[in-house]
Parts: sequence; C-alpha cells; structure tokens
Amino acid sequence: MRPPLKLFWALSTGLVLVVVVAAGALRGGTPLLRDADASAKGATAGESFKYWQSPDNPEYEAYREEPMPPGFQVVVADFEGPVFADERGRTLYTWPLRSLRNGATGDREGKPSACTDEVLRVTAGLMSPYPAGLLLPDLDTRPSCVDVWPPVIAPKDAKKVGKWSVIEREDGTPQWAYDGYPVYTSILDQQPGDVRGGTKMDSANDGGVVREPIGPAPAVPPEFEVIQSTSGRLLVTKQRYSVYTWDGDEPNVSNCNKECLTEWTPVRAPQIVTERDGWTIVKRAPGINQWAFRGKPLYTYNYDRGLRSFWGADVPGWHNVYTQRTLPPPEGFTVQDVEAGGEVLADSRGRTIYLYNCRDDSFAQLACDNPDSTQAYRLAICGNGDPKLCQQTFPYVIAPPGAKSVGRLWTVMAIDPDTGRRAMPGQAALNVWAYRDRPVYTYAGDDQPGVTNGDGYGEFTGRRNGFKAFVFRDIFQSNAFRP
Amino acid sequence: MKHERPDTTQGRSTATHLLLGALAFGSLAATQPATAQALRDGRIGYVMTERRWAVYETEDGKTECPNGFNLGPREQFAILFPASSGKVYTEVESHLMREGLAFHDMESKEPFPFHDAQGPISYGLNLDGKIGPNDFQSPEGVKGVDNQLYRAIGCIGAYRLNGVVSFFDTDDMYDNGYNRWMIELTGVDDLVNDDDVTVTTYRGLDDLQRDGTGSAFAPGSTQEVDVRWGQSFISQLKGKIVNGVLTTEPIDRLKWPNSQPGVASGYYIIRGSRLELQLTDQVAKGFLAGYVDVESFSHQLNTNWATHHQSYGQLSASSLHRALRRLADAYPDPKTGVNTAISSAVQLTLTQVYLVHPQKKTVVAKSGASSR
Repeated sequence: MRPPLKLFWALSTGLVLVVVVAAGALRGGTPLLRDADASAKGATAGESFKYWQSPDNPEYEAYREEPMPPGFQVVVADFEGPVFADERGRTLYTWPLRSLRNGATGDREGKPSACTDEVLRVTAGLMSPYPAGLLLPDLDTRPSCVDVWPPVIAPKDAKKVGKWSVIEREDGTPQWAYDGYPVYTSILDQQPGDVRGGTKMDSANDGGVVREPIGPAPAVPPEFEVIQSTSGRLLVTKQRYSVYTWDGDEPNVSNCNKECLTEWTPVRAPQIVTERDGWTIVKRAPGINQWAFRGKPLYTYNYDRGLRSFWGADVPGWHNVYTQRTLPPPEGFTVQDVEAGGEVLADSRGRTIYLYNCRDDSFAQLACDNPDSTQAYRLAICGNGDPKLCQQTFPYVIAPPGAKSVGRLWTVMAIDPDTGRRAMPGQAALNVWAYRDRPVYTYAGDDQPGVTNGDGYGEFTGRRNGFKAFVFRDIFQSNAFRP
Repeated sequence: MKHERPDTTQGRSTATHLLLGALAFGSLAATQPATAQALRDGRIGYVMTERRWAVYETEDGKTECPNGFNLGPREQFAILFPASSGKVYTEVESHLMREGLAFHDMESKEPFPFHDAQGPISYGLNLDGKIGPNDFQSPEGVKGVDNQLYRAIGCIGAYRLNGVVSFFDTDDMYDNGYNRWMIELTGVDDLVNDDDVTVTTYRGLDDLQRDGTGSAFAPGSTQEVDVRWGQSFISQLKGKIVNGVLTTEPIDRLKWPNSQPGVASGYYIIRGSRLELQLTDQVAKGFLAGYVDVESFSHQLNTNWATHHQSYGQLSASSLHRALRRLADAYPDPKTGVNTAISSAVQLTLTQVYLVHPQKKTVVAKSGASSR
C-alpha cells in the first residue's frame, strides 16, 4: 500500500488548514481492494517504466492549498492527481456549459443547476444530422441526471469560502458551487480516490458536454504547467513544451555542458526563488539559474517537433517529467509502436487496446460508456444491435483466472456478454479487464501488432459513440490525449 | 538508372549538376537556379501537397449526373422517418440503426436509388491495357480509362471539386503529418528521359513548407523519412521517364495514408497501383491509379468521416459501400469470385523536397502487411 500523508507536499498559503489525504491512506480503515491485491503485479511492476510508476513510488503531485468548505478535502487520486472531495471522500465535479453541433447544454456560470431529477425521455438533437425528439433507449430504467450526478448540497447557513459559493437549485435547495459552477458527485465513484465520472484530459467537443473533476492547482512554479496525459500528470513549460531530465546529471547539479547544450536548453529560473515542494535551483553560472524538480535539472529539447512531446525521451538517458505517472496496466499488457505514429497500450499479443466512448443525446448528456448504463449505443455500433457480433468485432480483453490489478485504475469485471452489463452473482460471465471501471477491447480488424484500425469506429470518429485506441504517444496530432 | 551505362552522376560537381539541370529544363531551370540541384546523385524527392479522387465534372453536372445527385444521410433519414408521419421514433430504430448500418451493411439491400456517373469521359489510366465497354475516355482522348470509382462517387457532392471530401482530403493533410506521403526517385540520370528509375514511397515526419503567400508550397524543403512508424507505407515501384513523364509498372499492393485530424488510423489499400506523373525539378503532377480495395475504402470513410460531415456533401456511407461492391471490377475473392477492388485514380500534386534518410538501407513493406 502506498505510504501515507508524508508523501504529499503542499504550498502553504496560510489561509485555511485542509485535510490532505492520499487515496490509499483513506482506505486504511476500510476493506480495500488495494490490500487484497497487494501481491498482484502489473505489466512491469517493480520496474521503472516511462509511462507508469509502481504503486509504491512515493512521488505524487503536490498542490496549492486553498480554502474549502468545512469537511471538504483534497484526495490525491492515482491517475488524476489532486481532486477535491466531499467529507466522505467522493470526488467533486462540475459541468460547465459547452456547445455541441446544434446547441449547448451544461451549467451556466452563476446560474442554478441544469441537472434535474426529471427523467428525460427524448433526444435533444444536439448532434447532427439527427433530429430532436427521438425516444431515448431503455426508458423503463433510465435514470434522471440527479440519479447519476447527485448535487452536493450545502448547509442552509453555508457561507462563501474562497472560490466556493452557494447556488440555489430550482427547488430552493442550496448547492455548493466552485468557480461559479454547481458541484456534483458521481455514482460511478465507489471509493475515495475514484475519479470515474470524468477526467482532466481534454475532451473533444463532439464527445459531449462532459463533467470535469475539480481540484487545486498543481504546486509548480509559474513557468510550468501540468497536463493530464494517458500516462499521468505530465510536466510542461507554460508554452506547453515538454521538459526533460538526464541520467547524466547529479542531484541539483547539471553536467550538461558544451555539446550537450546544442541539443538541450536548461529551463531558466528567476534570480530570486524560494526552494520548496521539490523545486530547487541549479546555479549554472553567476546569475544563471536552472530549475530542478525533485533534484533533477530540467531542460527542453531543441529538436522537439511539437508541444507536449515525447521526442526528447527517445534520446537514451533522457526522460519526460511527471508530477506523478499512472499505475501499471495488468500483467502481460504491452506498449506497441503503431503506424499511426506513436505508442499505444496493447494486450499480450500486441493487439491495440481500445476504450469505448459514449454520451447520450439528451440535455443531461448522460454517459453510456459503462456497463451500468444502457448498452443500446455500443451494441448498435459494434454489432448492429447483435451482442454476438459485437463480441466478434470488438472482443473484450479476458482476464486470466485469478488475475488481480494494481490499484483501482485497472480492475477485473464480471460481464454478461449477452447484455454487456455487469453479471449478477451466480450468472455465467466473462471476467474482463476494465479501465476506470469500463471494459477494454481489442478490434478484430487489427490483424497484427502495430495497427490501430479500430480507432474512429463509431459516431463522430469514435468520440461520441465509438472506439478509440488507448494512445500513450501520438506524434502527428500534438499528443492530443483522448479519454 | 539505365542498365547499359554506369551511374555517371557520381562525383559530379554541383556546377555540373547545375549545368545539366539548366540544359534539361531550359528556361525554367535558368530562372530557378536555386532548385536546379533538386536532382542530386541520381535522386529526387517529392512530398504530396494536393490530392483528390479523380472526378470528371461538367459545369452543371447534368452530363454525368442526368438524374441528379445522390441522397445523403439527412435526406435518407427524412424519407425513412418522416416528421409528417406523426410517429415518435425511437433512437434505436432510427438514429442508431442508421449508424450501425454504416459499419454493418453487408446483409441489407440498398433502399434508395443510386445514381452512377454517366457519360464517356473520365480522368484516370488504362489499368488493364484493354478498351472495354465500361471504360472511359480521358478528356485528352485516350481510350480505355479504368475508373469505376468515378461511377460510384461522381454524383456524390462530397467528392466533386468543391465538395467536402475533396476539400478536406487536401486541407486536413497539411496539418496532419500522418498523411505526409512522399516519393523518391533513384537511379535518375535525366529527369526528362530515363528508361529505368526506381520510385520508393515513404511517409515523412516534418511540416510542409509554404511559400510567402501562405497558400502554395515551396520546393526545396527537407523531410525526414519516417522509418520507425511509417514502415508499412514504404513501397517500391520500377518506372521510366519519357519526355518528362514518369510512368511506373504496377505493384500488387500499396498502402496509402489518408487520415483526418483526431483519428489514429486511415489508409487505402490500392491493388495494382502505379504512378503517372509529369515531372519537373519543382513539382510532380498526375495520377496515382490502381484498384482500391473496397473494404479499405469504406473503412476509411466510416472511421474518418462522421455522419455529420458526410451530410455536408450528401454522402451516405452505406449507399456508397453497396455501390462500390456492385461496381468493383478486379481482384476477385478466390472463394466467392466477387470482385474486391475497384478501378480508381487520384489526382496528385507533389512538391520537390530533399529526403533525409535515417537509415542507409531501405526496407520495403511486406506485401501481406496489414491486410485490410
């Protein structure tokens, strides 16, 4: 299990004390999957790999403290880093208004929540070319928006705190808001540290109006940003160029001189800096400071071909930098070069792993990408409504008997293959690998490793109701990481 | 390279190359001395800067499409599920049925009339060396042109000159390096007449270089060959140059990249593929022709073009897929005898570049690589 609180650094602002809890530590007194899976090994558990880190690695993202409502806390999630959570550790989300093809939905800043307890029955017609007014699938079991996204109710005497305010719902109930947007939890989150309702990764508009996990700002100097990638919390410059470290350096000492400097540029630091939270200064020459993170001097790569790049890490001894990397995938999974240009996650045969994306066309934009939601969308795409054809076209990735995952990011899920839903106890089921509590797939049209022929299969090139490859690195499309 | 004589370009000075270039290209080379060195050591490279499926059009379209243009997803949906019926349709029986059908249409019949392009004229090449009853004549009068793809797409607005596919196929190519398709001619003694040259196709890694106008492309830039990820796009063809026109022998199979932004896949498999290009030391212009594998064509369309975008140009993927299968004219399936590929031509413009090879030895893609 991950070591507890001492792992986390916080930039003290002296405003309000907050409860700072690691996802693993929160589970300490509860029956934890992590405990049960302690003997399990991921693909390269115990090894250093560029895209993931061992769950025992103490390096997690530090963040800037900010005042929060009483009882609220920050949980450092395995994949998404620090997120705000309620008193029970449930991750908090907002749903900012965004435009789709034929209109917009979501919450307007400073306005009451648009997520209501009405069970919507028809499509909104937000995604052309289909009209509004079509009856949504599975109406007899369809939930309301509030069923899926419970609003975070504030006490009647709640006061504004920092970026937190109170907005009255239509029925007069006070609801917490952050940055002006009403706040929710997700019924998909079962334990502290789960962030299954949404992601910090950029979402293409055609993917629907998504819910976004909210959290404090990363504790990085103003010259840097942290962006969410499929491999973790990637450190980049303010201009979004990747930064790199070199094995040839020593702690807080740069050995990159002369020839080395023709390819690598030290990231300059200001003259006056407070060293804290893992950030230190390397004095290259009088008056010339270089940033170091966790003791390692930072550089940009002069031959990088684009933003948030991994090109520099192709040079032996050089590495991208993360505030925290993701957890290992299941044992036997591999990383493959693909002709699309980059690297993907693949199964033990080298076949590309696919994620299924889905959001319905109601004004509530409910997710339909998980086994607890309607399967009508997925079955239409992968099998024209036929579950058996679906299993042939995009087969589940079967977990071997006794398979265990590392942490909660990857899990084994029992699926009824005829419905695509979770199997009931005692029911014949397939044990399949799931990522963020959603089954993953391979594609029958991938006849060899190194191809991603299933990418884009579905509506709106796979973003809306379809399949996208699990991409770690994408050299031609600016590493636009896709959830 | 001509077999009967050694490669006499070895050891020539830059000045000699300049002189040869000037002699070969007359006034053009004389006014463009900076690019006269494009042919170096018997090598010259070009990068694709324009592409579109060859569709012959008359001004009003009535000659080739006397029955009008084909219906698109929006029009077909309105016919199948009329708002005037007063019925409330389910998403499963309407929207999702239509989306599923785009990927799984093999068992269903075309419910709408499909208008094939008519008329005697089309762009393209004579692929089979014959003059058949379904062949076209080129606008220049060459008979025997094989381009059944034109019959399928000629009356779909999306593929016409101002259509959405024609536009985005080129425009989205600019910013998406996945499509950075290049050719390199080697063994070239003379860019006007040479009876034996080798053409190798590659994918590049660099951005295209525009000229000062921002809209045209400047010859003389550099492209690094993608040997790490782009191996499956490396193919080799033998050819000759006659009066400045490169003509290659066909090869069995060429994988040609075509991907839209945000999609990590997209290509056509072109069987019996060949090139016919008018060459200068700045630009190559002409055709990539062959028999495009029907399933690769439809898969590229379905995975790279949302129904929303197909609707811009009244392009119904499932209707087109059925037309492609009906009009396919080559490469019969050994088991069923059904043709799997359709004659086609792509109009190409390529701009001269210098290719940087990270490896000394070129490894050509295996013929059976990635069968789709």
